[in-house]
This record gives sequence, C-alpha cells and structure tokens, in this order.
Amino acid sequence: MSFSKTAVYAAFLLFLFYVVLIFSLLTFLEGGSFLTVLLAPNTLFSIRLSLTAATIATLLAVAVGLPAAYALSRLNFPAKKLVDTFLELPMIMSPIALGAALLIFFNTPFGAILQEKGIFFVFEFPGIVLAQFATIAGLATRLMKTALDEISPRYEGVARSLGSNAWGAFWKVTFPLAIRGLVSAMILCWAKAVGEFGATVTLAGTMAFKTETMPIAIFMSLASADIPQAVILILILAGIGLSALYAVRFVGRRSPVL
Amino acid sequence: MIEVRGLSLTLGNFRIETLDLTLQEGVFNILLGPTGSGKTLILESIIGLRKFQSGKIIVAGKEIQNLPPEKRGISYLPQDLALFPHLTVKENLLYGLQAQGKNMEDHEDYLGHLIATLKIGHLLTRYPQGLSGGEKQRVALGRALAPSPRLFLLDEPLAALDPGLKSEIQQLLVTLQQSLQFTALHVTHDLEEAYLLGERINVLIEGRLEQQGRREEVFLRPQTVKVARFFGLRNLFPGKVFPEAREEKWVSVSFWGGKINLPADHVSKRLTAGEDVVIYLRPEEVMIVREGKPLKESLRQNIFPGEVIRILDRGTHHWVLFRPSGRDVLLEIHLPNYVFRNLSIREGQEIRVAMRGESFWVIPSLYGPGL
Repeated sequence: MSFSKTAVYAAFLLFLFYVVLIFSLLTFLEGGSFLTVLLAPNTLFSIRLSLTAATIATLLAVAVGLPAAYALSRLNFPAKKLVDTFLELPMIMSPIALGAALLIFFNTPFGAILQEKGIFFVFEFPGIVLAQFATIAGLATRLMKTALDEISPRYEGVARSLGSNAWGAFWKVTFPLAIRGLVSAMILCWAKAVGEFGATVTLAGTMAFKTETMPIAIFMSLASADIPQAVILILILAGIGLSALYAVRFVGRRSPVL
Repeated sequence: MIEVRGLSLTLGNFRIETLDLTLQEGVFNILLGPTGSGKTLILESIIGLRKFQSGKIIVAGKEIQNLPPEKRGISYLPQDLALFPHLTVKENLLYGLQAQGKNMEDHEDYLGHLIATLKIGHLLTRYPQGLSGGEKQRVALGRALAPSPRLFLLDEPLAALDPGLKSEIQQLLVTLQQSLQFTALHVTHDLEEAYLLGERINVLIEGRLEQQGRREEVFLRPQTVKVARFFGLRNLFPGKVFPEAREEKWVSVSFWGGKINLPADHVSKRLTAGEDVVIYLRPEEVMIVREGKPLKESLRQNIFPGEVIRILDRGTHHWVLFRPSGRDVLLEIHLPNYVFRNLSIREGQEIRVAMRGESFWVIPSLYGPGL
C-alpha cells in the first residue's frame, strides 16, 4: 500500500472509531425520552451550570493567559523556560490529581484563611470555576502564544516608532491581527472547560442542583445505572463540543481581511 | 546633528564595541555593510527596539537613549514594510499622526503633497494586501514620513525587489528626499544603491565602523583592506613604502618588484618609511600600451610588460586579466568596448600596461607583508 493511502486510511479509521462510538449511544435511546430528559430540571440545571462556569473560567483564563502568552511570545525574562514548562503541567497531569492538589491546598493554613476571608471554593460554584480554570489556563496561554507567534513583532516595532506606546501598539495592531487565533483558542478552551470532570468532581463534589455540571451528571447517571439519561447527556455534551470545534474551524477558515 | 556615541551591545557571540556614528542632517546617510555586520542591530538600537549595554544617542543636542520608541520621533521602514494589513491605506498613512495626537488640519498640506509625490491618492480606501509591490513600497514610505520624523530609518526595504521596481523606488526616494529634505539613515549591503542614494556613507564590517565619509571619498579611496574587499576590489597588491622616499608631494612605494611614485594624498594616512601597505589600482584606469604610438609623459613612469591571460565580455565593457612578467599575480583591466575593439588584443598575447601615479591608492596593511 502506498504511503499516502496508508495515511488516509489511518485518518478514516480514527474517524470511524469516533462515529461508531457516537452511534452506539443511539442504540440505548428510548423513543420520546430525549426531550423528557433534556427538559428535566436537573438536566437544564447542569447545562446552565456547565456553560456558566466554563464561560467564567474561560474569561479568567484569557484575562491572565493573554498577557502571559504575550510575555512568552515576545519578551525575555528570568526563568522564562521554567514558567513555560509549568504552563504545560495541567496538560500532562491527571485532572483528578489537579483537583486533589487544589483540595489539599484549601486544607493548608493559607488555603483555609483564603476560604474564610475570601470566597469559599470547596464544594461550591467557585470551586467548579477554579477547577476548570486550573485545567484550561495553561492550554489557553499556550494556544494564544501560538496565535501571537504568528504575528511579526515588526508590526509592533513600526507602530511604536510611529508614536504608539506599548499598550497602544498591542491593542491597535497585534491584537486585531491575532484575533482569529485568539478567538479559536478561547473557543477550544471553553469546550474543554465544559467537558472538564476530574478536577471539578474532586474539588466541588457531586451535589445535585449545586455542583452538578454535565460531566458530573453523566457520572451520576451511570452510577445509578440510568443509562438512557447518561446517553442523552453524553449526546448533548458531544453536540456542544462538536459545535465549538466547528466554530473554531469556521473562525480559522474565513478568508482574512488581511 | 544626529550622533551615536560609544554604542556597545552584544548578541550571542556578536559584539559591537564603542561605535561612534555621526549622521548629517537633511541628507541620505547610508549604513553600508555585508550581511551579519550588525547594521540592523544599530538601527534597532537607535529606534529604541533593542537594549544596548552602553552608549548615547543624541538628536538635536538631546540624549534620547532612555526614551521609549514612541517618544523619539524616529520613523522606521523594515525590509518587509510591515504595512498594517487590517487597516486601509489611508488608516496606515494617518496612523502616526493619530498615535502622536497631532491635529490633522495642521498637516493637511504636507499630507497632500506627500500623497501627490507618492502617487497614492487613488489607493486610499484599499487594503495593503490588494496592492502591487511598488504600491506597497509607496504607501509604506508615506506612512513613515507622514508624521514628519526627525530621523527616518530604512532597513534594506529594497533588498527583495526586482531590478525594475528597485530602480523606480530608488528614484522616488531621491525625489522625496530632495522635496522634503528629511534626514535618513538607510541600511543596505548593495553598493550601487548606496552610491545612488547616499551623500554620506558609513561602512560597517563585523560590528566595526571601518570608514565614514562622503560617497566619492569612500568608494574611490577605501581606508582599510576590509572595506576594499567588501567593495569587491580585485586589484589589491602588497607593497612597502621605500625607506628613503617620503617627500612632501610624492611617496615612493615598491610594486611588483619595482618602484612607483604616487601623490602623497593618494595614501590613506601618513605612512612611515618601511611600512607594509596594500596598493589598490582602479581597473578602469589601467592603459594598454599601443606599441609604436607615443605615450603621454604621465604614463611613462609606470610601465609593466606581461601577458593577457583571459578576456571576458561583460556586455557594456570588456575585462582583461593581465599577468605581469615574472609575477604570480593577476591585474584586472576594464576596457570600454570601443577601446577593446581598437586594441584587437587576444588571450596569450604579450602586451605592456601603463598606469599614472594618480591611479594608485595605498592602504595601510594591518597584517604585515602580503594581503
């Protein structure tokens, strides 16, 4: 078999693998149950909770990640490689381990004071946001750095020489030029946050109508052997994820103004 | 006057040490040097985009090295032009004036003149990606000059252009400079471009400023062997200043086993007796002697017999490679086509060549005898 054909067959094999997985879910669907489960209060709650928490976590990740990505892309500073390496930690660390680390942190004297004086995280909504943030912040920074790397620093150099200060050059030149990559990064991180389970369940627990995000709802349905409900929730989650991925491709494919 | 004083910077293994550069105001200053000589580093240091270890940058008597780039009043045109692709031509042109908070009405006449000179009035609503190479160059020039900078830095913007477009933009730069009288520092490795545009040439080699001066001075009288080699000068020969001969008007130098006398102002500095030198002979100033015809007095002193080794037709003129008798060196001679045809010489022919003392230029040799 030729090299090209082998590569294409491998791509199709992977595609089929995931399609078969999705279709296998449909065999457990019972007639008319889809809408019933979808409109059930706990399903609507978990959808709303997941989307809200993921959106807040993504905005926070972008707020911190964008300047961090800029620093890693454009500037030289002490321990840059160390910082860069740590940003990848959530990508290689098990989400449960990450959640456990957060849980343990809030049981240290400093963490306890933080909770008493500030916001309560453990088994609360902020805990969901924090767990999702911890999972996606590194990824968001890495993806946004890639988007910024694609924009020549010379644009900023010219903008500075023409009279813009560093902030002005970034917002008027670099940011608009990198916007597609940044939006793509944001969408991908949001989709990852929506599907986050390990860290969330460890830090925020599995309390119905409180910390029951969609992945946790799926876990709870499976735990109570309610397969049809689990299937429907999985399909909704997959639908949200695939829509996000399509949006990323749409953003990336649009012929640039540029 | 714009000055760079004692600039020192290091990038990896590359160093620029205590470099002094003086730019004349209101003219095109050229920073000329081979690739990797540090030209762009100097440019980025002047503009404020690169930190350096020590040194001062002085514009109109004020030190500006601690100011951020936006406060220096120096425009910059990089090789890739870096036109802002998300802005229209008009927005690109006005970027500097808006960023500096200047009143548009005060600059209307100047902008109108600039747009007319650059012939970009019909492009104002278009985006850069829809422009031709020449149009992009014109817009980038307009953007850089619109805020009336104190200094305009050009980092080899013409390097990647095809010859036709390059020539067009070079002429445009000359026109713009004459019209607007701005001060420019133009970085290039292209000798022809440097000669065409530059009133003052600064030759930078391996991070060191080898020579500064007026265009004619620098090109006709290289001060160091490095500069001569960078200019691609081939007729460089080792010599030595004769011990007894250092008169007020003439200097005697050994050459090809004989002696030549040349005017004292044809040496790059005061030479001491016995000093090793490198002698440069301009290839277009070597005469081929027509046997049986009288020779001018000025040519009679320096006549050398030898053999024509090779003749190359260069289109506009001919190159003749000549080997003097008893010497293992080659002399390059450039002959206009009509002269070559009248001489009717061929490869292998024994001929004699003659040079006037004024055709020699003597450079101190830093490396002892030889090249």
